[in-house]
Amino acid sequence: MEVNEFINQNLIKMNLVSEDKDSVIKEMIEIMAKNDIITDKEEVIKKAMEREEKGTTGVGKGVAIPHVKSDAVKRPAVAFGRSDAGIDYGSMDEKLSHLFFLITVPEESHDEHLKLLAQLSRNLVHDDFRDSLLEAKDEEEIMSILENI
Amino acid sequence: MKKIVAVTSCPTGIAHTYMASESLEEAAKKMDVQMKVETQGSVGVENELSEQDIKEADAVIIAADTNVSHERFGGKSIVEVAVADAIDDAESLINQALEKAEKGEKTEVNANLNSQVSDEKSKRKAKRSGPYKHLMTGVSFMLPFVVAGGLSIALSFVFGINAAEQEGSLAAALMQIGGDSAFALMVPILAGYIAFSIADRPGIAPGMIGGMLASSIGAGFLGGIIAGFLAGYVTQWLKENIKLPENLQGLMPVLVLPFLSSLIIGLLMIYLIGPPVEGIMNGLESWLQGMTDANAVLLGLILGAMMAFDMGGPVNKAAYTFSVGLLGSEIYGPMAAVMAAGMTPPLGLALATVLFKNRFTNQEIEAGKPAWFMGISFITEGAIPFAAADPIRVIPSIMTGSAITGALSMLFGVGLRAPHGGIFVLPIPNVVTNLGFYALAIIAGTIVTTFMLRILKPKLAE
Repeated sequence: MEVNEFINQNLIKMNLVSEDKDSVIKEMIEIMAKNDIITDKEEVIKKAMEREEKGTTGVGKGVAIPHVKSDAVKRPAVAFGRSDAGIDYGSMDEKLSHLFFLITVPEESHDEHLKLLAQLSRNLVHDDFRDSLLEAKDEEEIMSILENI
Repeated sequence: MKKIVAVTSCPTGIAHTYMASESLEEAAKKMDVQMKVETQGSVGVENELSEQDIKEADAVIIAADTNVSHERFGGKSIVEVAVADAIDDAESLINQALEKAEKGEKTEVNANLNSQVSDEKSKRKAKRSGPYKHLMTGVSFMLPFVVAGGLSIALSFVFGINAAEQEGSLAAALMQIGGDSAFALMVPILAGYIAFSIADRPGIAPGMIGGMLASSIGAGFLGGIIAGFLAGYVTQWLKENIKLPENLQGLMPVLVLPFLSSLIIGLLMIYLIGPPVEGIMNGLESWLQGMTDANAVLLGLILGAMMAFDMGGPVNKAAYTFSVGLLGSEIYGPMAAVMAAGMTPPLGLALATVLFKNRFTNQEIEAGKPAWFMGISFITEGAIPFAAADPIRVIPSIMTGSAITGALSMLFGVGLRAPHGGIFVLPIPNVVTNLGFYALAIIAGTIVTTFMLRILKPKLAE
């Protein structure tokens, strides 16, 4: 199992245009839809919003990780988006979020997929990992950072 | 060096659980605190805390947005927060936990039997997966029909065993409710909800149709189980593999899926699966009806022992499902044996805690009181806390008692028309045949269980 099975350059958006929480979730899900990863966009949006209602996925330190587990997801995938201006995501620490990881997995997923996603999540806690994502110049550089987790 | 153990968990179990775990570990490293974090995520439980870990820990941190059981942390200093708090500021959490430990603030964990049992039940439910989960979903949806059907039939016998043959009588009406309607729906509901569990809503139609066919062909609950699984997996496969152009996709759930899946399941049931399963069911039914005493005792022994073996786990449920399924074939003996055998483990343990106090801890003696109630209510899980504390001695004891109860119930030819309810269904007329002997079987098993516990369990040191 390799990181590039989850994410590729097409799933990376360096300049998110959204300015608020709802639209950034939709913008990220749109990336998934364009890449044929989900079958039912509305369903995925609904699930993502439901998850946010249970507790924000804006985990602070400028990171948000909306995620969806649904039958409307064809395969496990991660979309990455960056907003240099920052978006008010209702984060724990009330700061703006800059790094967005949308994680989608089907209802039934292999453990190894989930373990890799767990590994990605663990890395997000580290300052230098986040800083390198913030400083990366282009999609290619983001990919090489992610491939080294 | 101070040691802290922690549990992290979040609703989806994909990201937060692990971020919180990493944060805690990182912060602990910085603060020179020993830390072990158990993650309860979508992969299941990882890095599980052992009893040893918990014993050595100075404090416990629970960072979870789900319900994490406290039972095992009894008497520890516990700090409980939302999972996000651990990601956000793990350092202050650790300080908080150590402070609490310093002050000696221990959290009293309510260790009463009822909450332990319901905890254990929900844990098992969550752990169920694959075919076993699907089968149990089907069974749980079927049970209300069995209860309504069985009790209505029993009531109709109040007017005499053949009273229902009198057209227009109340007895006939009760029979129509119970036998012709509720019991007739049993197998279709079972099959429909097995398929539902596998393929979601599209599974229900083919599942129920397959179950109905199993019923009418005479393939009974075995046929129904097969129909349910077939319908579920076939529908799931169709869902994933039929690709319609986008503008026709609306037709999938309303036209394509129900028609195709029902057609496939229906034809399979009628031509391929129905006939052999009907043969098996007929064989089973006539064997059960014409069973010699020796075979009846043997069956009772096996079913009884199964009921006690894992107290509500898969083996117990296999015996239970088998017996409930047979109610649909109007065979009531195994149901009686199984319910009786499921009642004796908590009853026997409760009696033992009264008679042989020096063999149980104070906590167990306390737990003995609600165990009486669980026993008479047919909640076998009431024995779990005792069995968990001392499985090697408790499980053989309760299995012996249950096996004897099951065997006696079969030997006495007791029949039971209700699938659940413990002693509370027994006063309803005709629900149980041979009530006196049934009580005798239950009492005998209870005493045997108690006696076995007396032999196997050593006296506790003062």
